[in-house]
Amino acid sequence: MSTQRFKRRGLLSAGLIIGLISFGSCSSDSGSPTTVGSGDSSAAKPRIALIMKSLANEFFSTMAEGAEAHQSAHANQYDLVVNGIKDERDLSRQVALVEEMVASGVDAIVIAPADSKALVPALRRAKAAGIVVVNIDNQLDQDVLKQENVTIPFVGPDNLAGARKVGDFLGNELEGSDRKVAVLEGIRTSFNAQQRLKGFEASMAEAGIEIVDSQSAEWEMSKANTIASSMLSEHPEISAILAANDSMALGAIAAVKSAGLSDKVKIVGFDNITAIQAAIKEGKVLATADQHGDQLAVFGIEVALNELAGEAAGDDIETPVDLVTKQTLSAK
Amino acid sequence: MESRKDHAGFVLRVRFVKQSKWLQIGIQYGGLIAVLALLIAVFSACSKNFLQPATLLTIANQIPDLTFLAVGMTLVLIVGGIDLSVGSLLALSSAILGVLMANYGWPIWAAFGIAMLVAGLCGTINGAISVGWGIPSFIVTLGMLEIARGATKVVTSSQSVYIGSQVEWFGQPIASLRLSPAFLIAVLAVIVGQFVLTRTVFGRYCVAIGTNKEAVRMSGIRATPYAIAVFAISGLMCGMAGLAQTSRLSTADPNGAVGIELAAIAACVIGGTSLMGGRGSVVSSFIGVLIIQVLQTGLAQIGVSDANKQIITGSVIVLAVLLDALRNRLSHRS
Repeated sequence: MSTQRFKRRGLLSAGLIIGLISFGSCSSDSGSPTTVGSGDSSAAKPRIALIMKSLANEFFSTMAEGAEAHQSAHANQYDLVVNGIKDERDLSRQVALVEEMVASGVDAIVIAPADSKALVPALRRAKAAGIVVVNIDNQLDQDVLKQENVTIPFVGPDNLAGARKVGDFLGNELEGSDRKVAVLEGIRTSFNAQQRLKGFEASMAEAGIEIVDSQSAEWEMSKANTIASSMLSEHPEISAILAANDSMALGAIAAVKSAGLSDKVKIVGFDNITAIQAAIKEGKVLATADQHGDQLAVFGIEVALNELAGEAAGDDIETPVDLVTKQTLSAK
Repeated sequence: MESRKDHAGFVLRVRFVKQSKWLQIGIQYGGLIAVLALLIAVFSACSKNFLQPATLLTIANQIPDLTFLAVGMTLVLIVGGIDLSVGSLLALSSAILGVLMANYGWPIWAAFGIAMLVAGLCGTINGAISVGWGIPSFIVTLGMLEIARGATKVVTSSQSVYIGSQVEWFGQPIASLRLSPAFLIAVLAVIVGQFVLTRTVFGRYCVAIGTNKEAVRMSGIRATPYAIAVFAISGLMCGMAGLAQTSRLSTADPNGAVGIELAAIAACVIGGTSLMGGRGSVVSSFIGVLIIQVLQTGLAQIGVSDANKQIITGSVIVLAVLLDALRNRLSHRS
């Protein structure tokens, strides 16, 4: 009796899973945006793994799309595998991805690390396995790199300088006596979050503006909305909110609106995602910084290709960060 | 895997089955192993690098954390409870381990001892409140999920704590075996867990409690200490998982393992453990862990888009539960 039962179960599950997987692989064969180029092509072409943070975040999906466009334009030079993690905090999964890419025999890894410290040992092991590693977006911790005795070139923007551009612009816009602001920080463990906070703080200090509240909303819109709301009820006198990324700035817009303070409280962000551009045009957000995310991964891939072609591992490369305001958007 | 019907009236029967033992095992795990083999076959067809020692060993060395949690979770589910706090307890024990080692220079065994103590204590509190006072474990452990996560952030000041090589050896493969100590101990935990569940009085009482607590009480057995002990074991498994994750990352991550409780529950349910209690197998949960990890690694290796990854993973979980329900219905009919 039970044998029959299990046979039926096995058969059924087999059928369903086959169906499911073939659906999955079909969809990826027929031009899924993530795998570009065939995985099983000649050994002469290097395979590069791009490991991102959350691809649900537009900033990173734009970056991935930029890389895929670059790959299809240079399809004869390399193959690309793109992977991201579910949310920005899932660094255990990102370490696992590095290990999986090493196991699958890629030639280079270009990575936007979810944590500036925890990824270092895994990347050290990847390098030891003879894989070219390039760090983009979020710079790895210098002390840990030294402790682990490994050098990994960093290709990315100076977040501190970018945050200063945004902060200085806001400082000039804020007039009168209401010179108190609040900051929505990113995840405090990330180097980007720390750099952007430093940039904001430096600008505010120079403009003589007081930061009355500074909390982490972990890069997330809904969390930023909750925290910004409580900031506004705790400090109704604040005249601006500085968000360390645009998702959090969008969360702050809704909080300011529901507090009925839309006319009074100015908001700035960072990253220049599409949604924020509309908000800037409508005047709900004052400014953001564009670090040319779509090109960021491409810069990293180019550095990796150069190193694969036999050039010595380069120094860190700084990519441009530009201020985006209503004026710059209308000029386009 | 016995159906609830087998336990009707709470009779602890020792069944002398004439079938050969291997055939029995084949019947018990056949369905799950077929699913696993199928996944591996599909991924091997899609990527020539999948069915390679390097990939399979990578998978083996990635699963210890989830395996430990699934062992504890299986027992908790069998007594009819649920433990939502495992992710936070993992992070808390990892944080204690990291801070004691990196900031206070403690040796690993001492720091690990304290981490286990705290995790075990939190598990005991979960059990004492939910079982002792008859409050649903769902809500008690949900509270513990928040408390332990908050405590983790206090302990680490919300900073990830880099520890380095003193802790790395536990999660890194031993050169000769290519398997990590963490993996070997996780497998040992599965074997011991299965033995305790099927071959000891403690284990049979757990099944009985999950099947019909009232009948257990009427038989003159005090169910409470057993059920509390199960939650304490789940806590200790979180401590082990904390060590496994910390050593794999060389870092204690205060934001780590968010939502892993759902993966642990999914692994158990895929393995046929009933959310209603009274039925489950530690080995099947382990195969559930393998299915989840193979799916994750395989999908990453062939580069399926993130959205499709989630759709496929979710579908496999639902299908597994669906099959289990179907199996249940068939067994009741026969």
